[in-house]
Amino acid sequence: MIAEAGHYALVLALALALIQSTVPIIGARLRDPALMNVARSTALVQLLFAGLSFLALTTLYVTSDFSVANVFENSHSMKPLLYKITGVWGNHEGSMLLWVSILALFGGLVAAFGNNLPLSLRAHVLAVQGWIAAAFYLFILMTSNPFLRLAQPPLEGRDLNPVLQDIGLAVHPPMLYLGYVGFSIAFSFAVAALIEGRIDAAWARWVRPWTLVAWIFLTLGIAMGSYWAYYELGWGGWWFWDPVENASLMPWLSGTALLHSAVVMEKRNALKVWTILLAILTFSLSLLGTFLVRSGVLTSVHAFATDPTRGVFILLILCLFIGGSLTLYMWRASSLKQGGLFAPISREGALVLNNLFLTTACATVFIGTLYPLALEMLTGEKISVGAPFFNLTFGPLFVPLLLAMPFGPLLAWKRGDLKGVTQRLMAAGIAALLAVALVWAWTTGGAALAPLAIGLGVFVIAGSIVDIAERTMLFRLPFGVAFRRARGLPRAAWGTAFAHAGIGVALIGIVCESTWNTEYIGTMQPNDVAKLAGYELTLKDVTQRQGPNFRESLARFKVTRGGDEIGEMTPSKRNFAARQSSTTEAALLSRGASQLYISLGEETAGGGVAVRMYHKPLVLMIWWGPVLMAFGGLLSLSDRRLRVGAPKPAKASRALQPAE
Amino acid sequence: MALWFVFALMTAAAIFAVLWPLGRTRSDAGGTEASVYRDQLAEITRDTAAGLIGPTEAEAARVEISRRLLAAVDAEGTASVGSSPGFRRAVSLLALIGLPLLAIGFYLPLGSPAMPDFPLAARNQSPSPTQPLNNLVAQVEQHLEKNPTDGRGWTVLAPVLAKIGRTDDAVRAFRNAITYAGDTAARRADLGEAMAMAANGVITADAKAEFERAVALDAGEAKARYFLGLAAEQDGRGSDAAAIWRDMLAKGPADAPWRPVVTAALARVGGGNAPTSGPNLPALSQGTIASVQGMNAGDRNAMVQGMVDRLATRLKQDGSDVEGWLRLVRAYMVLGERDKAKSALADAREAVGTDAERLRKLNDGLKDSGLDG
Amino acid sequence: MTRKQRRLTMIGGALVVLAIAAGLVLNALRDSIVFFSTPQMVAEKQIPVGKRFRLGGMVEQGSLVRGDNLAVSFKVSDGGATLPVNYKGILPDLFREGQGVVAEGAMDASGVFKADTVLAKHDENYMPKEVADALKKQGRWQEGSDGKPVMSQGASQAKPSLTQ
Repeated sequence: MIAEAGHYALVLALALALIQSTVPIIGARLRDPALMNVARSTALVQLLFAGLSFLALTTLYVTSDFSVANVFENSHSMKPLLYKITGVWGNHEGSMLLWVSILALFGGLVAAFGNNLPLSLRAHVLAVQGWIAAAFYLFILMTSNPFLRLAQPPLEGRDLNPVLQDIGLAVHPPMLYLGYVGFSIAFSFAVAALIEGRIDAAWARWVRPWTLVAWIFLTLGIAMGSYWAYYELGWGGWWFWDPVENASLMPWLSGTALLHSAVVMEKRNALKVWTILLAILTFSLSLLGTFLVRSGVLTSVHAFATDPTRGVFILLILCLFIGGSLTLYMWRASSLKQGGLFAPISREGALVLNNLFLTTACATVFIGTLYPLALEMLTGEKISVGAPFFNLTFGPLFVPLLLAMPFGPLLAWKRGDLKGVTQRLMAAGIAALLAVALVWAWTTGGAALAPLAIGLGVFVIAGSIVDIAERTMLFRLPFGVAFRRARGLPRAAWGTAFAHAGIGVALIGIVCESTWNTEYIGTMQPNDVAKLAGYELTLKDVTQRQGPNFRESLARFKVTRGGDEIGEMTPSKRNFAARQSSTTEAALLSRGASQLYISLGEETAGGGVAVRMYHKPLVLMIWWGPVLMAFGGLLSLSDRRLRVGAPKPAKASRALQPAE
Repeated sequence: MALWFVFALMTAAAIFAVLWPLGRTRSDAGGTEASVYRDQLAEITRDTAAGLIGPTEAEAARVEISRRLLAAVDAEGTASVGSSPGFRRAVSLLALIGLPLLAIGFYLPLGSPAMPDFPLAARNQSPSPTQPLNNLVAQVEQHLEKNPTDGRGWTVLAPVLAKIGRTDDAVRAFRNAITYAGDTAARRADLGEAMAMAANGVITADAKAEFERAVALDAGEAKARYFLGLAAEQDGRGSDAAAIWRDMLAKGPADAPWRPVVTAALARVGGGNAPTSGPNLPALSQGTIASVQGMNAGDRNAMVQGMVDRLATRLKQDGSDVEGWLRLVRAYMVLGERDKAKSALADAREAVGTDAERLRKLNDGLKDSGLDG
Repeated sequence: MTRKQRRLTMIGGALVVLAIAAGLVLNALRDSIVFFSTPQMVAEKQIPVGKRFRLGGMVEQGSLVRGDNLAVSFKVSDGGATLPVNYKGILPDLFREGQGVVAEGAMDASGVFKADTVLAKHDENYMPKEVADALKKQGRWQEGSDGKPVMSQGASQAKPSLTQ
């Protein structure tokens, strides 16, 4: 009954989405508030049904109901409970169900907490959400139905791919989806504005919190995915410029641009048409990411769906939404009132520069990701575009962006004083130069550009500190006063500072890791010692152990430095019986921001084992950066100003912001 | 029935979601733009105080925002609120009739409302709360890990692995059975079958080689010959396949259990003119298909039964293995053969005899089996 | 600055950045692209020694030989031709004989492909498209095999039919 109820709930969600996508629009035409409010109730109940459906599938996984084909294919009764649950979205059908559930969640949130939106805008936004939802419910029901049953239920399931049996992978797809799908709200707002033919500064303020939420989750999702690849794939790489990773990076880049251009629109009522375009593009790139991953057009690391009918269906959805919204854009954009112009040297100017570089960088990633596909389709020739391409294109575009970044927040709106800002940034510049000199003096080897890149990172971080110091008049006023000013500062200002500093932190981590990373690869017998970056790693023994659904061989290493014991590391290799496959569990030992990394290879005949060891200096900063950025986003989200427009202090606004 | 009741409830909730706002006379009017502009004005004051914006710019911005504020307030004043009862009624009708029709129309072709849930817990409710098959398999696997050369163990384990879908492991187990328990035609055929199962039913070159070996060992090995026919069919040599199967039907015993399967296969490749020498050859009908399925279920039982019988035989020869007796008794319970379980228990008592330690172990192990005594 | 001049500066700036980006992309596309080949294509095309490319195919059964100090060699085939590959290092978890593999590297003078990377593929059913095509021609690989009836119960469970 659970399976069938879940299935039926999904069908009802489709029916409601169809009503939600039509009735409110007609209602808005007729100016009938009752009809427009249908959007709200249907969105909420649609969320209820999508949630029920997802809950039903989860229950089926937990109870190991192998009469459901999807559960049989992807679960196993002996799997730990946690991975039974995460197995729900570890496969194509389940992950698409998660996708629509999150879409319904965002629709429901707009319906529940959108009290501050004008009625017709809310009706239009929810109707557009209804279109997207209906398309994806259809996709699931027609091509990827997770609730199909088996006439003769098998006794045992086929397990989850053991590589996917990992907590990092379990958490990062939902995060990414929250990001991807969150941008659908920005998209719906944009399309609603085009339909209504009306857009103004207030619009930007309404869009911003939703975009910010999506951006925070996407940032965390990307970082988590990268960390997962780092420790699970067993060779210490953390970013591969794999099409699937690019698929998440592209919406992030354009989403970041959108956040910034929405600020200009809100404050200066300019860049309106551009902001609408960015909102459409960002969600289009999210859809493209879903298409790339889910259709199997890439034979890439993450693509586990290979059914062409699905690909064609998603391609249709993609064409319909991207093509439709862009057509609407071309048709209606000219009728939108253009905003004012402004001086190049101003906060607005700096934000435009930011947008220019971010979107251009996004375009290069787009080309690098899709060019091989296009070429293969046109000429049949298979090529791969790897890291060298992106290092040569993406890198040079990010350097000016980072150089300009500290200037932006310090420039005044309307007309900025570049000379004054430069003077104020002097301290940051000096810090950066010092860092360059220090790094140059201390390190040997590595690329000559590395110290400069680190200097750039320090400049960005110091720039954020200068920004806050300037706003609080630190060093100019007594400390107590400055502290009070700091508390009174809008949280969005703090958010900006944290997010920008996060970029600098990540940059330093990336440069250090890729320049001064040392590795040792070889075969070791028990009691052999490997020396790596001043550490001695002694292999103590290799033992066998039985896990819940795997057997693993576990190697124990003693780590010492100059004779002092620092710790023990236990990398292992797991064998999964049900799939006849194995995974490598790397062992990590953190020392500050640096890490030692060991992964095991094959056991050799003479009782030895092949090992791969790395010392990765400051590698953790790569992920601390995004965490800082997300934290900045959260601060900004909690800014009082974003709550504007709530007519009453309804419950609504409280749910979005943590209490002060 | 309960399911349809739940469906009805859910449908009612969905319809209610559409009807509810239509029925309300006063609905909330939503937010306004004016409040945003009012807040922006306040913010400019703050920004000026913080020195983020020059006084002249601030003044200009204030004028700009005030102008927008006025326009927004004006627009709100003139915005008319319409009401279209006719359309509301149409939407209500759509919700009341269209929505359930659409939902049922979509659901019925896709769903299987007649099928009950089949969770693991329900599956394990065998006559006694003893170990499920998986644990038995795990026990045997553990035993074999310690004694990897126990050919008999592999022979018992392999078909069970194949049955529960762990085909790759089954292939390994059959290989080991051949290595440690001797090369027989039947084992070669089983190995080939497991390999074909692992390849989702495709007779790979390796699997074919195994069947050929089986036939070389014993030209009458029915399973191997059947699969050789299937391999021929998959290679597109339908007539070869038909020849093999026809030969099997002609020479095989009249009451061979594989007859319906081979007949059905033969009919599939178009060799319907099977030799009529077989006395009771059923025509290809619903009946045939049903009998194939029936036999498969029987086959399944036979496999477990075979495993249990082998265990029983072994214990008759050497009765000192308490664990073995326990497993046998539990297996009978799982199969629902209570009488056999009882008699096995009696045999066990007798075999264990006066050994107090073993007797205690036996009694402990059966404490919760539901067999009194 | 007049309104027009401001607009021109903006547009000009944007064009400059775009032009630079286009230059970077074209330059990178010329230099840093790696082609993909199968053993068959290698045999036909005469790829020069030392030119980097990606080799895809199936690891031939029984061809994996482990040497000293983590050196391994194996053969990659696509049904038509086979190519010996040398690699030094630890093979990814999903590397198995009879499975698809993609290796990056270059040919050496003796006609052996020297790989410096062997790619782990997430998907266990992954098979390079060309390989799948080649095998399909030989009738060995059947996509989504419709559960050919196999004699015993187990096989019909391995590929159960979906109910309507």
